[in-house]
This record gives sequence, C-alpha cells and structure tokens, in this order.
Amino acid sequence: MSIMEYNGGSVVAMRGKNCVAIASDLRLGNQALTVACNFDKVFPITERVFIGLPGLASDLTTLREKFRYRVNMYKMKEERDIQPETFAHLVSSTLYEKRFGPYFVEPVIAGLSSPDAPEPNEPFIAASDLIGCLNFAKDFVVSGTASDKLFGMAEGLWEEDLGPDELFETISQTLLGALERDALSGWGAVVRVM
Amino acid sequence: MPSSAMAPNAHGIQQRSFNPYTENGGSIMAIAGTDFCVIAGDTRQSEGYQIQTRYKPKVFRLTDRATLATNGFAADAEALVSRIKQRLEMYRHAHGSSMPIAGIARMISTILYGKRFFPYYVYNILGGLDEQGKGAVYSFDPVGSYEREFCRAAGAAQSLLQPFLDSQVMFKNQLSTPQRKLPEPGTMKLDEVLKLVMDSFTGATERHIEVGDGLEMFVVRTPPAEGQTSQAGSAISTDLQAWGAVEALGGEDEQEEQAVVVIRRELKKD
Repeated sequence: MSIMEYNGGSVVAMRGKNCVAIASDLRLGNQALTVACNFDKVFPITERVFIGLPGLASDLTTLREKFRYRVNMYKMKEERDIQPETFAHLVSSTLYEKRFGPYFVEPVIAGLSSPDAPEPNEPFIAASDLIGCLNFAKDFVVSGTASDKLFGMAEGLWEEDLGPDELFETISQTLLGALERDALSGWGAVVRVM
Repeated sequence: MPSSAMAPNAHGIQQRSFNPYTENGGSIMAIAGTDFCVIAGDTRQSEGYQIQTRYKPKVFRLTDRATLATNGFAADAEALVSRIKQRLEMYRHAHGSSMPIAGIARMISTILYGKRFFPYYVYNILGGLDEQGKGAVYSFDPVGSYEREFCRAAGAAQSLLQPFLDSQVMFKNQLSTPQRKLPEPGTMKLDEVLKLVMDSFTGATERHIEVGDGLEMFVVRTPPAEGQTSQAGSAISTDLQAWGAVEALGGEDEQEEQAVVVIRRELKKD
C-alpha cells in the first residue's frame, strides 16, 4: 500500500460569495486499524488563513511546525500577516525543496486576504501535490484518500456564489458523502467557514 | 563441460507471456423508481490514453422488462451479452414468455460463476421491472456475487458517481424535519431521475478522462394495466418524446411500444 494511504484522511476546501470553507475528517489510522478519532488535519496559519494537511501523519506534524517557524519569521521581517496566496507559494517552495525525498502530504490552503490588501477580503483556495505543484481553483479543491469521491460529490453539489450558510451545507454534504464511501477516512469531521 | 554451455542461450533465460485481459474504461449506472427504471452508460471505449471509439454502446435491451449495462473488458462484455441473449431466447422457446428479471439476475450470476477461475472481466448492472411492475436494479461482481438495490454505479468513475447517488437518491446524511420530510429512496419521478443521471455523467466527464463522448439512458416503464389507460403522473404517461427518446432496439422478444426507450445525449469529447 502507498505511503499516502498509511494513516488515511481527507480535506476539502470550497469558495463561496465573500466566504471560503475548509473541512477535514478526524480519523488517524495505522492502515486498517483506527488509532484516533480526534485527529484534526486543518491548522490556523494566521487569523484568516488555514492549511489542511492530509497524508502521512508524521510529515503533517513536521510540516506544521516548519510552516509555523517560517510564517513567524515572515511576520517579524515584514511586520504584517502573510496573505493566503503568498502562503501558498511558501508551501509550494517548502515542498519542492525536498523534491527527491518529499514530505508525503498533499496540502489544501483556504483563506481570505486581509482588509488592507490590494484585493481586500478576497476568498482564496489552493491545493498542492506532495512536491509543491499548486492548483489555484475558483470552485473547490480536494485532497486525501477520499479525493476521487470528493471530486464526484463536489462536482455534483457545488455551485457559484454560495453564501456562508449554503456553503457550509454544501461542503458538509460533500465531505460526509465522500467519507461514507472511503474506508480510510471518516470517524467525524470538522468544517470551518470564513 | 564449459560453463557457457549450461546457459539456455547467450541472452539468458527467455520469458513469454500473454495477458488475456484489458480494461476499456467507461462508466454505467442504474436507478430504480416505483414504476420505472433508468439504466445509463457513456459510449466511450478506450484503452490507456487512446480512445478506440466515441460510440460503442454498453447498455443492451434484453426484454421488455430488463436491460443490461456492462462495463470493464469490452471483449468479455460482448461474449457475455451474446450468451445471455442466447439463453433468454432458449427460455422463450421453452416457456413461451420472457424470463422475469429475478430469473435473469440469477442466470447471469451462474453464467459468471461458471467461469470462476477464468472470469468474464465485466461489472454488470441489470435494470428493469420486477413481477409487481416495480423498478429493480441488480448489480454484480465479475464472478457472480449479486444484490438487488435502488441504485448503483460501476466502472471507471464509480467512486465519483456512487457517493453522489448515496446523497441524491438514498438521501444519506440528510435529516427529516417537520418542514421537509425526506422522501423514501426509489420514489423519485422519472424526469427527476433523468436529470440526476445527466448531472452525474457530466460531473464524471469533467473529472475522469475515461468518461465522455456520449450518454445513453435506457428507460424501462410499467405499461398501464389491461384495459386501463395510463394514470397521470405514472412513468408511462411521462412524455419522453420531448427528451428525444426513441424506441430501444435489441432483445429477444417483440417490443411493446414505449415500454423500453433510449435517450441519447452528447457529453464532452475531450
């Protein structure tokens, strides 16, 4: 079995009208054995940027600490919070640094740009593969062991310009539906709407 | 003796092999209603990244009450379907009537299991009407394990389609409220089901390279009871001419008009 399926887990992010949502399951497994049911894979980077890290759980921990370090250094030098798009490029270059011995994680990034940014309060989502190839989607991004199921659900349920409440329902149904058909994901879910 | 003479030849041991199977992509699905069944499949046939043809039907009319969708290895599918049709014709000659769908399902299971150790590499979904005139879907694995269900997707985009059907046909992860009672699975109207099938396949076409080109939706409907006219709201009274429906061909029996029709739609070709 692939190392990407060793622990299991899935993340999805969606864009709405003046809002974004990012959701993940809560399972941590050791192949077929479930180890924990409170393993959130989404972490805050700033007040307005979140990253989801499905994949190998040990690399998730390593990367989370690495991003905390790099984002703190960024804030000290720049004296401002990092923007979602800038952070996506930071993720990309961090992953490509390890091109020939990669972290086995496929990140999902979701956030809103800050009010004083050139384009203020702009919803942003992106996904990356394990070596940093970014996918800036306008609609939704998926990642993890249930990614194909998430694609099927999201392609059917998502529509343009959803408000926060509708987006919450859409992303929840998308994730729940996909989790029911994936043996390696599930055991609870968390949804964040910005 | 010189050691070189011990070797089979100068190039070392040679191996030859022949793989009797391949995978030809595509996807199929079926949804049962109270008095109808929709059986659908895309029409692309591919091998690897190569499209062999944009129109190769994989849904077949068997009788007035049964339609079979096949997916997997196209050559095995062809052999299997012709064998099933042959057996149905034999049944008709012996009994003077078409085999009921439960019988067809059991027969397909035994035909598949007959090749347990050199299987037909095909996933089958049998859709139609049971003896009460209710919509029926039977799904099979390649060696004949089968089950009756309300809905099923199979093939390349199965993992994209099935969770969507769980949500929209079985109403999974939805709660009933006094304001909005959840309908029973398998009670949707025919036109709702057709829209759902089209949405499912356009979605699968977007995200799966092996799905596309064309969509064929077979509709099997319960005819009005003897000496009665069709009731308003029944599937047979639904105007499928407006959807571009035409009479479905094939099968071993003579067709009752409008009992089995097929609706063809274009899907993206890239």
